Amino acid sequence: MLHVVRSEFTRLAQRRTLLVWFGLMALFAIMVNTVMGSAVGQMDPSMPSPGVSFPTRAELEAPGGLMAGLSAASNMFGVVTLSLWAFFTAQDYSSGLIRLLVAGEPRRWRLLAGKAIALVGVTAVAVTVAALANLVAAPAVGASGISTEAWGTDVPTVIGEAWVNLFLSQLVWGALGLVIAVLSRSAMVAVSIGVGYVLVVESLIRMVDGAPVDQLLGTTLGAIANGGTAAVAYSSALALGATYVIVGLVIAGIVFTRRDVTD
Amino acid sequence: MAVVTTTDLTRRFGPITALDAVTLELPPGGIIGLVGPNGSGKSTLIRVLLGLIRPTSGSATVFGHPITSPKRYASGVGTMIESPAFVASLSARANLVSLAHLHGTPMVRVDEVLAQVGLLGRDREPVRRFSLGMKQRLGIAAALLTDPDLLILDEPTNGLDPAGIVEIRGLLRGLARDGRTVIVSSHVLSELEAICDHLVVIRFGKLLFAGTMVELLGRTRDHIDIAPEHDADLERLATVLRDDGWELVPAEVGLRVLAGADRTAALNRAATAAGITLSRLAFAQDSLEELFLEMTGRVDGELAGARDAAEGKVA
Repeated sequence: MLHVVRSEFTRLAQRRTLLVWFGLMALFAIMVNTVMGSAVGQMDPSMPSPGVSFPTRAELEAPGGLMAGLSAASNMFGVVTLSLWAFFTAQDYSSGLIRLLVAGEPRRWRLLAGKAIALVGVTAVAVTVAALANLVAAPAVGASGISTEAWGTDVPTVIGEAWVNLFLSQLVWGALGLVIAVLSRSAMVAVSIGVGYVLVVESLIRMVDGAPVDQLLGTTLGAIANGGTAAVAYSSALALGATYVIVGLVIAGIVFTRRDVTD
Repeated sequence: MAVVTTTDLTRRFGPITALDAVTLELPPGGIIGLVGPNGSGKSTLIRVLLGLIRPTSGSATVFGHPITSPKRYASGVGTMIESPAFVASLSARANLVSLAHLHGTPMVRVDEVLAQVGLLGRDREPVRRFSLGMKQRLGIAAALLTDPDLLILDEPTNGLDPAGIVEIRGLLRGLARDGRTVIVSSHVLSELEAICDHLVVIRFGKLLFAGTMVELLGRTRDHIDIAPEHDADLERLATVLRDDGWELVPAEVGLRVLAGADRTAALNRAATAAGITLSRLAFAQDSLEELFLEMTGRVDGELAGARDAAEGKVA
C-alpha cells in the first residue's frame, strides 16, 4: 500500500498545479480577511452569500476571530480543493495512465485508496498555507474598526482548531471531487457537478419549505468548517460528513473496481 | 511451459464479438507478433490477458496463473497499451519514478531502463516536449521497469519514422535475446515479419493462424503472372486456361496462375496453342503481405466491423 501512496505522491508533485492550488488557498485567505472587517455589520448573517459566510462582529472580536477568515471562506477553499482532487483523479483517465496503473496494481481499491491518502497529505499542506496566509492577513480586519484585543488569548488552540475544522471540511469537499471524477472520468464534469450542487442547487433547496436543510452537504461542510453552528452541532456535522465520504467512496470503489478502464 | 494460453476466450461488446472463442498457446522466448487489421481484436486480447477487462466466456492463463488473478503475474509482465501514457507536465524520470514506486522496483532500475531506451540525457525534460518516438521509447522503458519476463507492447512503432522503427526493432530483438518473451501487436505484417519468431493472426476476433514464421511461410503459394501481348486477348486467355484445368486467382495486372516454376513452359505452350502470344511470363511466390491480406481480407477491419454492427451482424 505504501508503494501506491509513494507513486501517487510522485505524480502529484506537479509544480505548476500545486502552485495554483496553494496560491488560490492563500489568495482567498487574504481576500476574505481584507474585506471581512468592512463587510461585517453590512451583511445580514442569516443570508449568507454563496461561497462566503462572514461571521458576526461579536464572533470576529472573540479570540477565535483571529482565524475567522478560514471558516468564512471555507466554501471558496472547498471549491479549490474539490477542483484539484477532481483534476488529479481525472488526469489518470485523460492521460490514459489508468491502464498502466491498473495493469501494474490489479488490486484497484489500493489505487483508489492510495490516491485518496496522497491527496489528503497535499490537502494538509494546502490548508496550512491557507492558515499561514490568514495569520498574515488577519491584522487587516483590525484596520476596519474591529477590536482585536481578544485575539491574543490561547492562540495555539484557536489556530489548531481552525486548522482542523478547515482540514476536515476540505476532506469532504475533496472526497466529493474524487468520487465524481471517478464516476465521470472528467475533471470539468466533476467540478461543475460538485460546485453547482453545493453552491447553486442547495441554495434552491433551502428556499423550499420543510426541506431537510440541516442534512444537506453544503450545510454540513459549513458546520464542520465553523466547528459547529447553532443549527448543526459539530459532532453531528462530523458524523454526517463522514457518512457522505464513506458512501461516496464505497460507490466510487465499486464502480472503479468493476469498470472497463480501457475505453 | 507456455507463457500464455487461452481456451475458447470470448469477449463481446454489445452486438460486437471482439474475441471469438480464441484458443492458443504462446511459447516462451522470442518475439511473438500479434497481427490483424484494425478492429480485429488484438487490443482486446491484450486487455483481457492483462486483467483490464474480463472475458465474456472462456479462460486464459499467463505464466500458468488464471487471468482472474492478475496480481499473481502482474510483476512479471511489462506492458505498453495503445499509446504511451504519462503525466505530460512531469519529467520522463518522474513518470518512471512514480511507476517504479507503484511496482516496488528499486530506483536504480529507472536509470537502467532510461539507458536501455536511449533517453538518459533527456530524462529531466517534461514529457510534453517529447516527440512521439521519444514517448514510445519512454513507454517501452516503463514496460521494462520490473525487468519482466513477458513484454506486451501494443503497436510500439505507431507513428514512428523509418529510422525510429528500425531502432525499436533492434531494441525488441535485444530484449528477446535476453530471454524475454515479447508480444508485439501491429496491423501491418511487414512491420513484424522481419523480427518475429512466432505469429498470431486474428480477424474479427477469430484466430486465423498461430504458429512459427516458418509455418506461415509454408502457406505461401507459387504462382506465375502472365499477360497477353494484346489486352483484347485477356478474357479469351483466361477461358482457355480454365478449360485446360489451370487455377486462376485475381491479379491486379494480367492473370495470376497458381502453379510452380516447373509449369512455366507448359503454361506458355497452352497460350501459344490458343494463338495468344504472352508478353509477360514471370514466376513468383506470394509475399507474406499478400498471404496476410488473403487471410484477413482486403477490407479495413474497423470499417467492416462498423458495417456489420450497423447491419446487426455479429462479427
